[in-house]
Amino acid sequence: MPIDPVTLQILANHAQAAAESMAFTLFRTAHSTFVKETEDFTTGLTTPDGQTFASPRELGATWFVGLDYGPVIRAIDDYREGDVCMTNDPYSGFVCTHPPDLHLWKPIFWEGELVCFAVGHIHNTDVGGAVPASLSRALTEVHQEGIRFPPCKLVSEGRLDRRLLDIMLLNVRAPTQNWGDLKAQLASVNTGERKVHEMIRRFGIETFRQGIRDLLDLGERQARRVLASIPDGDYPFTDYLDEDAPGGLPCRLHLNLKIRGEEAVMDFTGSDPQLAASLNMPTGNNPRHILLMVGWNYALYTLDSSVLLNGGLMRPCTCIVPEGTVLNPVFPAAVGMRSMTCARLQGVIMGAFQRAVPDRLPAGPASGGPMMNVNTIDSRTGRRVMAAIDPITGGAGGSPFGDGMDGSGANNGFLKNTPVEINEAEVPIRILRYGLEPDSGGAGLHRGGLATVLEFRVQAPGTVVTARNRDRTRFRSWGVQGGKPGAPSQFWRNPDTDRAENLGNTDVVTLDPGDVIRIVCSGGSGWGPAWQRPVEAVLADLAAGKITAEAAMRDYGVVPGDAAATAAGRGARAAPPARGLDARAERDAYERVWTEANYAALTEILALLPVHWRHYAKRRIFALVEADPDRRGDGSEVRAAFAALQAEFPQIAH
Amino acid sequence: MPYRLGVDIGGTFADFCVLDETTGALSTLKVLSTPATPGAEVIAGLAGVAQRFGIGADAITWFTHGTTVGVNAVIQRRGIRLALFVTRHFRDVLELARLKSPDPYHLLSQRPKPLVPRERVFEVDGRLGADGTELEPLDEASVEVALERAEAAGAEGIVVALLHSYRNPAHEHAARAVIARRRPDLPVYCSADVWPIIREYERTVTAAVHGHAQPRVARYLDALQAALRQAGVAAEPMVTKSNGGVMRAELGKTRCVEMLLSGTAAGAIGAAFVARQAGVARAMSLDIGGTSADVAVIIDGAPSYGTGERVGDFQVFIPTVAVTSIGEGGGSIAAVDAFNRLTVGPESAGSTPGPACYGRGGTSATITDAMCVLGLIGHGALGYDSVTVRRDLAEAAVDRIAAPLGRTREQAAEAIVQVAISGMYREISKLAARQGVDAREFCLLPFGGAGPMLGPLLARELGMREVLVPATPGVLSALGGLIADIRGDVIETVYADLDAASLPRILASFARLEAEAMRWIREDQRFQGEVTLKPSAEMRYRGQSFEIEVPLDRAWLASADLAAIAEAFHRTHERIYGHADAEAPIQAIALRMVVEGSVPRPRIPEQARETGTPAALREVEIWLDGARRSAPLYARSALRHGHRFAGPCIVVQEDCTTCVPPGMSGEVDRFGNLRLILA
Repeated sequence: MPIDPVTLQILANHAQAAAESMAFTLFRTAHSTFVKETEDFTTGLTTPDGQTFASPRELGATWFVGLDYGPVIRAIDDYREGDVCMTNDPYSGFVCTHPPDLHLWKPIFWEGELVCFAVGHIHNTDVGGAVPASLSRALTEVHQEGIRFPPCKLVSEGRLDRRLLDIMLLNVRAPTQNWGDLKAQLASVNTGERKVHEMIRRFGIETFRQGIRDLLDLGERQARRVLASIPDGDYPFTDYLDEDAPGGLPCRLHLNLKIRGEEAVMDFTGSDPQLAASLNMPTGNNPRHILLMVGWNYALYTLDSSVLLNGGLMRPCTCIVPEGTVLNPVFPAAVGMRSMTCARLQGVIMGAFQRAVPDRLPAGPASGGPMMNVNTIDSRTGRRVMAAIDPITGGAGGSPFGDGMDGSGANNGFLKNTPVEINEAEVPIRILRYGLEPDSGGAGLHRGGLATVLEFRVQAPGTVVTARNRDRTRFRSWGVQGGKPGAPSQFWRNPDTDRAENLGNTDVVTLDPGDVIRIVCSGGSGWGPAWQRPVEAVLADLAAGKITAEAAMRDYGVVPGDAAATAAGRGARAAPPARGLDARAERDAYERVWTEANYAALTEILALLPVHWRHYAKRRIFALVEADPDRRGDGSEVRAAFAALQAEFPQIAH
Repeated sequence: MPYRLGVDIGGTFADFCVLDETTGALSTLKVLSTPATPGAEVIAGLAGVAQRFGIGADAITWFTHGTTVGVNAVIQRRGIRLALFVTRHFRDVLELARLKSPDPYHLLSQRPKPLVPRERVFEVDGRLGADGTELEPLDEASVEVALERAEAAGAEGIVVALLHSYRNPAHEHAARAVIARRRPDLPVYCSADVWPIIREYERTVTAAVHGHAQPRVARYLDALQAALRQAGVAAEPMVTKSNGGVMRAELGKTRCVEMLLSGTAAGAIGAAFVARQAGVARAMSLDIGGTSADVAVIIDGAPSYGTGERVGDFQVFIPTVAVTSIGEGGGSIAAVDAFNRLTVGPESAGSTPGPACYGRGGTSATITDAMCVLGLIGHGALGYDSVTVRRDLAEAAVDRIAAPLGRTREQAAEAIVQVAISGMYREISKLAARQGVDAREFCLLPFGGAGPMLGPLLARELGMREVLVPATPGVLSALGGLIADIRGDVIETVYADLDAASLPRILASFARLEAEAMRWIREDQRFQGEVTLKPSAEMRYRGQSFEIEVPLDRAWLASADLAAIAEAFHRTHERIYGHADAEAPIQAIALRMVVEGSVPRPRIPEQARETGTPAALREVEIWLDGARRSAPLYARSALRHGHRFAGPCIVVQEDCTTCVPPGMSGEVDRFGNLRLILA
């Protein structure tokens, strides 16, 4: 029988206190700057079967609310008081989702009985493997991505397994940091245990046991209520990563969101095959895997921010994700850069929900911010400097309620920048510009948020600049209800000079002294027709320098100080909005070749191939379709291409 | 007969605290504050003090004052229209802030609008390097252009915040000179003069908040000085500061940024005084009023300090007594949602209309209404007869919560209180984890109008074993101002490695800071008494992105003892973060000097010890812990040193009510404080 709602609310506050205390303890005692700056960690409490019933709100990554620890909890069969278990292997239960994330779980006992788990993870700066920081798009197998531990006991009945620790520290590039952060994680789960014991003393074991299940049930009921407010229907949505590997083909992410009463199905069939690159998202056939659900949590919380952020929120949803695809790869696919795919997938889910409730959710956000790293030698001291200088972020999409936030926001709202003054004091670079990029927000009745631009000059030869998560130079974010897409992102070496080089989606570049880098994120997209934007709002943007006079005329038909020209300009643009979604010419051109029908044929063909053939086959089919002079967009050219491939390689015959 | 007077003005009341310098006796008074005519309540209070205690204005030898004029100007954005001059290509320093959204889970979450909008931010040419050297001279013509545009945009004041000015203010000062040539009437605020810290957003927003409020605060202090002169107060007025000290009101006119959070700071100083006097080593002060609930951690009689404390939508980065908000106070509104979930806050009935039981038009059930229904308040007037409690209105409001919950009126009222307490429990747990302390080892020190009412219940929830209710909980901020020392802070950002090569530069910087601190206290502050200098350094391990403040011994500086400075850093790091690395290189980012001129501490007269139990006014009926109970009602004035009493009981005094729940017992100490112990 559920406990009464008042006691449940009090228990919810205590559970929240426990999760937050764990987070603050971890944050306070962690060693690495990475944890302090990016807050890429989680803490939480789960039921004995692994469902997260409490997560912190104030600190930590926003992606892992409601993470299901069940699979790794079940991997250990004998829990004793004082144990702490760990894993960082994505393929042992799919709780960890790339090797830098080290997850811990500690069983909490009361009078000899296991009552819940204190859990959490930290993203370690490096866990060894082929490249520093263990992450690169170019990697093809998880074995290259660092040392991996299957679920095991790091601490047994209070005794740390030194041998296990030594093996870990031997295999990583910054062992002191990892060990320091691991100690912070241990302090965090111990804090969780203490707070849970306080709770049990306060509420009694029976109320605690029932209450933590009731919290999950309440989360589920809240989610069902939100879903009930959304019209039933199928809401398909597609978006692309520019590249499925360095210099590669577009990577398609497709969703059909089916809302049926208080429940939903998210069918991801039609998304790209498993890739020979590290963009794969390991989800292990789990119908509610957290990486598939991040956008869901964002959407539900935005639709009703009184919902509890716990595992119950995901229960009314079932995901369909065919195995051997980018969203459900099989061992040993590389997974290190799954964050880039996950961020775009969040946008796809937001887009599907936006279709379902266009008057409640925003247009497309900018791409996930690339993390800029500089590796150089300081000529003043001779010291090597490796520094994360800034995330490059773009704005939120315009929404029914107003303009998108400039510079960052939506699903990038958790990122923090580094002061220019700190960067210049720490890293031998000169920052030439940091701020908002005019005209980068998509035009609309409610404008998309502007992108940020960062420009800097390096001083030493051989300076390496890394920009993880580069994307959206080709395919823009999506405007809705007649709003325009935000500007694409840019990455330049020596811009505005005769040596200018467009780096596109490159993510690593080696520079000469005096070279200048300019990086601009993509912009957020607009909501509603631009010609309906009040003239005063356009003029205010112009006065603030957020748009140029040229854009005021081109996008909004507004000519400052000329009422007649403005009236004419707006009249000329006052066409009915053409369609729901607008991502500009680049995507239109692509989709004229790669139509729904062609993708349907491709999906069908690849699904029947052995997994290790799929990415190769995709590349070959794309090349053959590209070369086909007689494209009709009905799937026939794809089938023809596959027939040619089969002729060449009889061993892949279906 | 000399008297010291402390005045603290809050949203609802202006609190007066008078100290008889001869006997050490304290008298207190509250009058309603007059937000429409700031300063009028001071005059009204002076009249009240004369009438009630027979203390004339001419007998007042020391006058301290805390005002919310500045903080309200920032919260309501009613200060002057500012323009901001920045380094070219860095226009968005305020717009972008540090990027992070207030609620990162919410796709529509927005950072607050900046205090200076982008259309009034103008770029000037000129560039300094991180070490303060000039890379490109300031282009005066570009400043003139910026000024023209600022004037065209109707700017009433200008903030100048250029990159790396914390190391070299020359460009900012040159820009100011250019502005002054053409517009000597226009106030100019240079970021390096307001508070010269590294990190451009933090320095700029601090300067902007200061500039926004400064003219209004200066005008207010002018008027206050005039009014006091007219009222015959000869003492030069002092104002309380966010750093827990005081300074001459005259200085506040140009340093209003140092006063913005003085109200909460003075409360913590008052609480620290009470804790020290009572011999409590570890205390958490809990200040609950109608619209706020704030906690400060006090160890060994001193509050902790922080920077980046919140003023309205912004943070200011000057040294401030660290006070953490844990809720919205007695006016927090209870609501029941579609899932029968009872929530309390964050909506608040504020001071207008206030709780339903105040009879000023409020109809929503608040914490105060719940306490009234439970019989814990309402046994007399509140706030010096300014509010008469209407129990019938509280009952009607709580009944609207009781119905959907399916509970009786009293059960619903208790539920409201419990949910509110559990919310505060959550916030204090976070604070404790952030500071690395265990709340159970602390004594709770509640004050403010609603602190002693809710504090004992909260202490019980937190497992704190002791609660210390001061003798004058309603006017502790006024008392804090009254007993605060003169205190000034100076800072230099050095960004140096802590090694032998940099040590001369660090020591030279400390010497400049010491000279500046002495100049401030002797010349600006005109203080001739004994002073204390407290040097400290904001340090970190190289590679870290945050600093910790490490108090230093002047002897180490005198003897150039590098090892002692490093050791102090390692120890502090170990204490705060639980680890230290003796081998890792250290950076000193900023050096600071605090100068204090001590004000004589009052000797609160000790009461003679009495025995036995106090006499109750009467028995009252209350509802607590799920049952109706009879509880003695005591007048605070009847509780004398040595008296013991047991919960449940209610203690009333003019400005607040103390609620002692079952399971707690109390004793009165020699200063008249109530010490409640959880059995």
